Amino acid sequence: MKAGRAPLPGGLEIAGLGAWVPRERTLVIADIHIGIEEHLAGTGVLVPATHFGEVRRQLERLIADLAPAVVVIAGDIKHEFGTISDQEWRDTLRLIDLVAPRARLVLVRGNHDTVLGPIAGRRGVEVTDSYRVGSTLILHGDTVPSEEMLRGAAAVIIGHEHPALTVSDGIKAETYKCFLVGSWRRRTLVVLPSFNPLVEGTDILYGGRLSPLLARGIEGFEVVCVADQAYPFGTVRTLRTLLPDI
Amino acid sequence: MVIFSESTKRIRFKTEPDAPEAIDRILNPLVRRWFRSRFPSYSLPQLHAVMEIHSRRNILVSAPTGATKTLTGFLSVLNELIDSSTKGILEDRVYCVYVSPLKALNNDIEKNLKGPLREIEGLSGGPLGIRVAVRTGDTTPAQRARMLKRPPHILITTPESLAILLTSPRFGDHLTKVSWVIVDEIHALAENKRGVHLSLTLEKLQHAAQHVSRVGLSATVAPLEEVASFLVGSEDGRQRECLIVDVQFIKQLDLQVLSPTADFVGTGHARQHEAMYALIDELVQKHTTTLIFTNTRAGTERVVDHLKERFPARYTENIGAHHGSLSKEHRLAVEDGLREGRLKAVVSSTSLELGIDIGYIDLVICLGSPKSVSRALQRIGRSGHRLHDITTGRIIVLDRDDLVECGVLLKSAVEKRIDRIHIPKNCLDVLAQQVYGFAISRAWDVDGLYRLVRQSHCYQDLARADYNEIIDYLAGKFAGLEDRHIYAKVWHDEERRMIGRRGRLARVLFMTNIGTIPDETQVLVKLGEQVIGTVDEAFLERLRKGDVFVLGGNLYQFQFARGMVAQVSSSTGRPPTVPSWYSEMLPLSFDLALSIGRFRRYMDDRLSKGEGEEALLAFIDDYLHVDARGASALHEYFRQQYDYSVIPTDLRIVVEHYSEEKRTYIVFHALFGRRVNDCLSRALAYVISRLQHHDVEIGINDNGFYLASEKPMQATRALSMLKADKLHVIMDLALNHTEVLARRFRHCAARALMILRTYKGREKYVGRQQVSSMILMNALRRINPNFSIIKEAKREVLEDLMDFTNTKEVLERIEAGTIKVQETRTTVPSPFAANLILQSYTDILKIEDRVEFLRRMHQMVLAKIALGKGRREKGL
Repeated sequence: MKAGRAPLPGGLEIAGLGAWVPRERTLVIADIHIGIEEHLAGTGVLVPATHFGEVRRQLERLIADLAPAVVVIAGDIKHEFGTISDQEWRDTLRLIDLVAPRARLVLVRGNHDTVLGPIAGRRGVEVTDSYRVGSTLILHGDTVPSEEMLRGAAAVIIGHEHPALTVSDGIKAETYKCFLVGSWRRRTLVVLPSFNPLVEGTDILYGGRLSPLLARGIEGFEVVCVADQAYPFGTVRTLRTLLPDI
Repeated sequence: MVIFSESTKRIRFKTEPDAPEAIDRILNPLVRRWFRSRFPSYSLPQLHAVMEIHSRRNILVSAPTGATKTLTGFLSVLNELIDSSTKGILEDRVYCVYVSPLKALNNDIEKNLKGPLREIEGLSGGPLGIRVAVRTGDTTPAQRARMLKRPPHILITTPESLAILLTSPRFGDHLTKVSWVIVDEIHALAENKRGVHLSLTLEKLQHAAQHVSRVGLSATVAPLEEVASFLVGSEDGRQRECLIVDVQFIKQLDLQVLSPTADFVGTGHARQHEAMYALIDELVQKHTTTLIFTNTRAGTERVVDHLKERFPARYTENIGAHHGSLSKEHRLAVEDGLREGRLKAVVSSTSLELGIDIGYIDLVICLGSPKSVSRALQRIGRSGHRLHDITTGRIIVLDRDDLVECGVLLKSAVEKRIDRIHIPKNCLDVLAQQVYGFAISRAWDVDGLYRLVRQSHCYQDLARADYNEIIDYLAGKFAGLEDRHIYAKVWHDEERRMIGRRGRLARVLFMTNIGTIPDETQVLVKLGEQVIGTVDEAFLERLRKGDVFVLGGNLYQFQFARGMVAQVSSSTGRPPTVPSWYSEMLPLSFDLALSIGRFRRYMDDRLSKGEGEEALLAFIDDYLHVDARGASALHEYFRQQYDYSVIPTDLRIVVEHYSEEKRTYIVFHALFGRRVNDCLSRALAYVISRLQHHDVEIGINDNGFYLASEKPMQATRALSMLKADKLHVIMDLALNHTEVLARRFRHCAARALMILRTYKGREKYVGRQQVSSMILMNALRRINPNFSIIKEAKREVLEDLMDFTNTKEVLERIEAGTIKVQETRTTVPSPFAANLILQSYTDILKIEDRVEFLRRMHQMVLAKIALGKGRREKGL
């Protein structure tokens, strides 16, 4: 089965849980959170490790479908703040070894990646605060980029937010990962769903947003759910008025 | 079952009491003198049991509350201790362990033992040096240290604290020569996982102390043989011996069902309410102290509230509410008020059912059906606390189904037909926790431990494969080899066939996470800094700012919530909005349900023979003992159903079809109790949705269930396709992805210590636990969809929450033709159907695939958006 594809503004595309920049053959994914099981075990929840196997399965499929020249991970490749757990050492290296032979790998630093250097360094992978491909700027999204970074950028892609939509028909409710597509400072802004297979994410219709880039609200953002394919659901504003009475 | 052919010999009823002189002979002169000074004679339970306990025989005593049960259990123990003391041979060790499910009860027992001891010391003229101590989670470190140095001769404790003490290397030494273990309120423990947990703890105690005789004290329960078997377990594959003393019915019963009105339909809701409260008030005023039971905590609040409002002169500080959600201080104040005779009436849900000392009650009122004969007898048995008082109980019915149910219930109570208890078996989550506890004490031979576990009645059929899976789980084998060190709780040496504890924190981890009672989603309610009580998290979710609700008999206005705290202000006389709490509702027992079905059949027979009103009223009066108003209401109810549709009975399930607007309803009049109907309806809805690929809404109650959908449903075809021998496979599939399984899995994972509620000194909120447990279940499913703890969650849902066995039985009867299925079509729901639809607990079966559901919702949203655009373009 091929990953669901759908067009995005600014010449970008949705490809599975990632964004695809066709001209430069660049795949962008975010928020993998390697090491989440060991982290949970450390809080007393014994979740057996299935995360990496699932990430590998999905990523291999995307790479086979798209044959990218560059794979950018837009932050939070790993889960623990401040330390590197055994699982993170092992699985991050495995992930690098999976991608690096087939495409150039770029790691954008996320707020969970404060100590990523030692692992990346071992395989000579670049770690950066932002990455520019054509007129598209890729960031994690936990901080506002400088004017200098933004100069000439027509589109910005971020992660960090883990957006998801809970759909309910009044009887049952299910949650799906989604993209948010809107604008920020007169530029196209694409928020990626998380690549973490263990959790869907945070319902965008409730609670506050994490990223300062979304601080002024997301009412005008388009919501695109992803499952077997992409399902555009209209703007957050319309969803707010429609979903309760469906 | 097989065990009973064996048990008829090993477990016997003792029918002849011993002679009082025989008891006199074994008692130390001091104890005899004390007893004579306090009591005129031995009570019936004492005449049966004291000699046997003295002779170290296992015994189960079933007697109503206040029937001197406690002293029955302890007289021989006190005698032995005092005798040893006077002879100077009293040792520094625990002679007797007393276990009860309630801390409050433990404190009562301590008082009730220390009083007599003081009196006996008075008679002897000096101290006897007999120590009694309570050990629960509330015991202070200083008290613990004292107990360790000088152990109590009688240790009063809870099942959880006993399990912890048995893992203690130092206190464990004091428990190696225990002579007696007394299990109080055993009926309340045996029916849930706390009892299962205790059954293994008792085996561990027995293993450590060798010759322990077991004494069980129980209120009304059936079958006593099975409870006895639960108490004693088995040894070397043979049931241990146990005597049963059955004095359940020594108190005289004065019971009545009262209807506030003769016409439940014609009388408006307000008038009916008025009549009900007038009736309650009349009864309360005629008695000294009244205890009123409702079926939900919210109901408890409502009754206190209404009585205060309707009769402000009569109910002020002299009425109180008592239920599990109220703060401990509030509950203690109410209990004290009862004992001191300051309260005229107390309204409770289940919290006052057990034997806490509440002084003298001369009337018990049950509002609505207590749902089982044993529960009715336990509740009503709280009145007339002394042995020879008459027990007085009144059940006030709330609607016509309630009327039929309570009429039949009372008949069963008078005829001493008590519904059978369900004891959970082979619980793998409790097994995991306990095996871990065993391993903490010392290293065990894996095969020997398996034999030991199977000595518990709850694990006598435990499959070796299931046991092995639990050992594998504890040894961390569900994780990959490289991560195993993170997941392993025990070491397992497969060559030497031994297991033992792993990690220095093991004991602390066990102590802080022990137990089987799941963390409830409770939210603290605060007025300023003052804690008022707690409410369900689900209840909080429904509240909006400014909403008024009742808690502790007072009105509060909801302000805001922060984490697990809800802030309120005192309300200004606005009417409350208390929602019904379905989750708390007690299920009707299967046995009682069948009795009601039988009564329906008798009524149907008579109606179809053309019997007139007079004859039918005479029959109802003769058969049911309801009052005249009730008989008349009941007669009309059955006549309406008979004239309009068909009367369902124990031998006839009526399937009623009707439509309302666009929805099709199919009502199954299947009077088997909610536990069976829950299972049956889900299985059926699953088959229907497989035939038609659509979600089906289900509503369930004790008298039947309904299925509703916007599309026609092939219900009869589905019912004929649902075979008893396929039920397990179907339910296994139907339960996947349901809310109920997700919740139960969280509980099971916590019991199995897969989710530690307390870890590294921190407690995990329920919300966090639920999120973690979803991640955990998804991950486990990827590895093995039949993982032991998922399997246990399914077992718990099927066997403990629902009643799989009897559901299968019902299907078998349908297949054999003993239960007929008859279809009817109606334009408005029949009288019997109306209540069923109104009062059902609804749930939805998630059959539709995740992706299908997303597609459907996507199309709906698109259609709505298009519609909106169309309207705007037309200028609408």
